[in-house]
Amino acid sequence: MRKKPTRKRSDRYRLFRIVILAGLLMALAFIFLVSTLGSHNFGPLHKLVLEVVGPLQKTVTRGSSYVETFKSEYIDILQDSLRLREENKRLVQQLQENENILNKSREAMATNASLRKLLEFKNSLDQQQVLAATIVGKDPSALFRSVIIDRGSNNGVSRGNPVVNSDGVIGQVFAVTPNYAKVLLAIAPSSAIDVLLQKSRVRGILKGDGTLTYRLEYILKTAEVEEGDHVVTAGYGGIFPTGLQVGVISKIIKKPRGMFHEIEVTPSVDYQKLENLLILQQPQLGEIEQMGQH
Amino acid sequence: MAVVHFIVVGLLLTILQTTLCMRTPVSFMAPDFYYVLVAYLALRLDMLRSLIILLPLTCVLDVLSGTILGSYALICFGGYFLLRQLAIKLPVNEILYHLPLISLSFLAVSWLTYLFFELLLPDQQASWSWWKMVLRMLLVALCSYPLFLLFDVIQKYSQRSFLSWSKLRLRSDNRRRRA
Repeated sequence: MRKKPTRKRSDRYRLFRIVILAGLLMALAFIFLVSTLGSHNFGPLHKLVLEVVGPLQKTVTRGSSYVETFKSEYIDILQDSLRLREENKRLVQQLQENENILNKSREAMATNASLRKLLEFKNSLDQQQVLAATIVGKDPSALFRSVIIDRGSNNGVSRGNPVVNSDGVIGQVFAVTPNYAKVLLAIAPSSAIDVLLQKSRVRGILKGDGTLTYRLEYILKTAEVEEGDHVVTAGYGGIFPTGLQVGVISKIIKKPRGMFHEIEVTPSVDYQKLENLLILQQPQLGEIEQMGQH
Repeated sequence: MAVVHFIVVGLLLTILQTTLCMRTPVSFMAPDFYYVLVAYLALRLDMLRSLIILLPLTCVLDVLSGTILGSYALICFGGYFLLRQLAIKLPVNEILYHLPLISLSFLAVSWLTYLFFELLLPDQQASWSWWKMVLRMLLVALCSYPLFLLFDVIQKYSQRSFLSWSKLRLRSDNRRRRA
């Protein structure tokens, strides 16, 4: 019963406080409005507000500029680096493709030059049937020297056919199958070719010894032989045509004993780079007989 | 099936040796894969199957290499029987212990074959060069370990193939009964 008047009084007091506060705020707002619109000058209040807000603004602006800087320095760089990585990847791939094309074109040019040289040589061999062939296999043995070529009896290749390229004599066909043939290289120890010294017309036998040089045998000590003399095929056996380049004399060993010189000949053919070669086809025995009958 | 697989592998290795491993016709650093196969057959496979595998292999080698037919047959069979005889006396059957044996037998058999043909057919072969042949021997030793692993895989695969004897044999109805 006693509490009721106290509550009523406090309610009234509270209402009074609100009214007073609202009136004060409205008065301040009115003063502010009047002073602002009236003077157009920064009053103390404005200055105070600015002084308070300024540092905040500054902090935020700096913060944002820091963020901007951070973004431009790190995130953008990261993005750029990712983009650059992609770009780099693409460019590397493009470079590889271009290099590949360049290599292919270089290879095509080299093959073209080699084949052109071979063709010119082929055209220079008058009235001789010539067949181009490619090496498909090489003898891995250290004791023998032979290669397998992609032409055989179906193409008219027969045992004993001379094998040459634009640089000179390579060897001769050793065994034939319908589509392939085995060529005994002139550097093989079992190879022997009838040759002439181009300058002095002295005849000898050229033998291989398994290395990258030939041995020239049966040249009499009385014969005129000099280093640098060219050695060509003699054509006596009827297998090789006369005058095909074989090599150059690189060393003459003069021994006090014996009838013959010991001569080393450097091949005109580069056996390390053998790739394409020509087979000089000879008329078969049947054809020769037919020609004889006519 | 192992016979067919090893014949095919021997053929492929020979082709590899005569093409990719031979950069030039005068290169001598081509590893003699065939001899590793010969050694594997001598050390790991029974004689009948080994001989069946070796016959076509030596024939292919003689066709693709050399001018004296039968020279590879002599090297392969010589190497095979030599290694087989030596392997019987060896207490350990591990490839790492066999490496010196394989490489030295390659050198010995190659040298004996060379001498044999020099006596029978002189001036048909290039002169013997020890350093070249020692290098080739080292190449054989280098290739032996990986190739033996490959051959082991092939042999396991051959045993597991669908035509293996264990799968084709008849089983009794009673699985619990022990013979």
